[in-house]
Amino acid sequence: MADGSASGSPSSASPHQHHRDAIKSSVHNSASSRRREHAIAVGKERREALMRAKRVCRAPLSGSDETAMEEGDMVIDEEKADLEARTAQAVEELKSALSTQYISTIETSFCANLVLGILFDSLNIIELKSAFINHSMCPLLKFPCSGGKGAQKKKIEVLRALRRLLSQSEVPPVEAAIKAGAIPLLVQYLSFGSSDEQLLEAAWCLTNIAAGEPEETKSLVPALPLLIAHLGEKSSTLVAEQCAWAIGNVAGEGADLRSKLLAQGALWPLARLMLSNKGSTARTAAWALSNLIKGPDPKAANELIGIDGVLNAIIRNLEKADEELATEVAWVVVYLSALSEKATSLIVRSSVPQLLIGRLLASENLQLLIPVLRSLGNLVAADGYMVDSVLIVGNSITDQALSSLIKCLKSENRVLKKEASWAMSNIAAGSFEHKKLIFASEAMPSLMHLLTTAQFDIRREAAYTLGNLCVVPAGNAEPPNIIVDHLVAIVNGGALPGFINLVRSADIESARLGLQFLELVMRGYPNGQGPQLVEREDGIEAMERFQFHENELMRNLANGLVDKYFGEDYGLE
Amino acid sequence: MHQMPVDAMEEEAEATPKAAAGLELGFWLAARRRLAADDPFFAAGDLERELLAKHVALNLLEDDWNQLEKMEVASTCHVSNCCSTLFCPIAGCGAHLDCLEDFEDHYVTRHTASCSVCSRIYPTSRLLSIHVSEAHDSYFQAKVARGFPMYECLVEGCGVKLKSYKSRQQHLIDKHQFPKSFEFFKKARPSQHQRHKSQRRQTAHRGEETRDSSMDVDGKGTRQTNLRYRPKQHDHKESKENEHQHKEAKENEMEVQQKIDELTSAVSKLTTADSTPANVTFGHRRSRGLTFVPRSIRQNKQAASQPEAK
Repeated sequence: MADGSASGSPSSASPHQHHRDAIKSSVHNSASSRRREHAIAVGKERREALMRAKRVCRAPLSGSDETAMEEGDMVIDEEKADLEARTAQAVEELKSALSTQYISTIETSFCANLVLGILFDSLNIIELKSAFINHSMCPLLKFPCSGGKGAQKKKIEVLRALRRLLSQSEVPPVEAAIKAGAIPLLVQYLSFGSSDEQLLEAAWCLTNIAAGEPEETKSLVPALPLLIAHLGEKSSTLVAEQCAWAIGNVAGEGADLRSKLLAQGALWPLARLMLSNKGSTARTAAWALSNLIKGPDPKAANELIGIDGVLNAIIRNLEKADEELATEVAWVVVYLSALSEKATSLIVRSSVPQLLIGRLLASENLQLLIPVLRSLGNLVAADGYMVDSVLIVGNSITDQALSSLIKCLKSENRVLKKEASWAMSNIAAGSFEHKKLIFASEAMPSLMHLLTTAQFDIRREAAYTLGNLCVVPAGNAEPPNIIVDHLVAIVNGGALPGFINLVRSADIESARLGLQFLELVMRGYPNGQGPQLVEREDGIEAMERFQFHENELMRNLANGLVDKYFGEDYGLE
Repeated sequence: MHQMPVDAMEEEAEATPKAAAGLELGFWLAARRRLAADDPFFAAGDLERELLAKHVALNLLEDDWNQLEKMEVASTCHVSNCCSTLFCPIAGCGAHLDCLEDFEDHYVTRHTASCSVCSRIYPTSRLLSIHVSEAHDSYFQAKVARGFPMYECLVEGCGVKLKSYKSRQQHLIDKHQFPKSFEFFKKARPSQHQRHKSQRRQTAHRGEETRDSSMDVDGKGTRQTNLRYRPKQHDHKESKENEHQHKEAKENEMEVQQKIDELTSAVSKLTTADSTPANVTFGHRRSRGLTFVPRSIRQNKQAASQPEAK
């Protein structure tokens, strides 16, 4: 419309000049706004892609021959339509390359000679051809079809072209590829007996297709059995690694796909790969495993820890491996400790806790710190053995553990602060000795600071820790005993406003926590000063919020406290 | 958040789950808390993992980051509906909220209405208007004096109107299971001057007051409406209120006489608490129209309100 008029309008007459300028600028605007929208859409897609638990393979695997040859740069700002068109064409070429294979095979390969005899007899050429084309698993073709070297080369070329489209674009044209029918073709390219190069390229294409949207990942289902098969010990390491990557992407999609993969037997070969000596293979396998076992069904985690050599591999890697590999192995430990009781009890009795603490103290790499910290947190939370028998007060491991947690509390990173506070709250729920140890440590100022200044979720964890430090559980039917020294120090240090703030929060758990702490203060602060202190910080007003609260338990709790401690005797000298 | 408190004494915990449940509510339970692998608690860490692994320095806009943080914080709040966004917990509100800051804003704007005359704060505008008519409206008092049932039930949708403050109180307790300590109209803490005055009066009256008198002839029970922790009111408003009280006395002797006597007797129990800061932060130091009254007082009031029950 705008374009048409621009070209159609007469030139040089001055009144029309303005008219044309106006039209030109509107063309410019619409094009630029289109570009801007495209950029926004791409940005959004990119952001979503970043948050997925799937990873696009952008570069050849380390150790691959191609590392030297390939220098493809990332192509940015590809016009989407253009990209899609090229993708569709690439898939078409895949198809034709496949059928060429059979023709050239028949002409020149060894197995074809067997068939030629029959051909001359029966003249059913067409039927045979189609038979060959349809039976990709035909036993005759198990012979390496190296004949038709030209055809071989062609296949790899077309695969490579598709692979480049899928790995060098900012947002790979996955949808276009699937629509053009790439998956069934790629499945054929994965057939047994194919050359390593072919398998590698095909698996790479599948990897990047699987790194897309949920629907796109699900389309890989027909390819799964072959991908799992190529993880086998007879496969080249590179091929196995690439297949592991593809499987990792599929597993990262969701619980359904995970159970499918497990049912098809993906766990064992991946575990074996994790034991590999080659660092990048072990790393990819560990990452794929962490995606595979992350549940919520604990079956996979339970199975994994039962495999011979896995725990030893974990120990070895945590101890000696570089940070990248240790990171992925630590994530495996995270899910093992979160999901499997069996795994947890084996792990806490091994040298893993000491290794985790060592890594936590020594490393500054956030990527490594997060899973190591979480593993420790999971272990402490899940199994009493950690706090009772491993982290005994007086042992050096305990002091190290505390130091490592304090290091995280003091860090800038929100995740570290939050999860370290959680872990510490669980240690503070241990024995009296543990509480004294934490109370005397450098954790206190950090915790107090977090309680007053941090974001809500961190404040809650700090509150749990500080409260846990103040009580020792009594018998079941009795209110807990209060450690007065700790309580006094914490209250005098200015913790009350933080707790009262929690009472005001919208979250019931936190409000309850705050009220419970106020109960401790009012009951246990010496000389009956508790209620006054609470009042001074507007505690009563905060408790009154529950007057009209929909939760009856909270109403009763708050009412009860006000009745008991702010009764008519209150304020009388 | 999924909480699975694990006691050291696990066998006993199983045996007495109910006792523990009762305790859990009231008392601090120091126990290890285990979290599931997919608990939203870990969402932030998972996100960091993915971003770091992709080696991207993310140029997310400030807004995007805030959105993300809000979502995570909201998801760590365990709401009774167990969904990932918050709903306002005030009974009958059910407003949809994104995160904690939103809740604070929402609470301040929707659930706190303040009286322009006496600065009391009410959680709904309806309650505010009820308060204004009952406490500051002479027309209202006139109608009451003539015997019209003017005291509305506080529960929305009930619609019942009663003739006196106390009978409305009783209705709330009987029909709507309000706590017995509930008191709609809280007397404000008078100024220091007032307190001194009443203290002088108090020493004279001391002999007459007994906690247990229930059948006062003119209804002036020793209802100790619990003023002791009420923040103090501005002087001029206080005297305004007193004037108003005096006006009422002409119109309705019974009611107003009660109120004045309540004031004087209750004031005697006041203490000189520390001065309260005049700040405007959320929830701090505002006078509220609704509060608690301790049990002993409630008992008296109940007995005292019986003769006036409708």
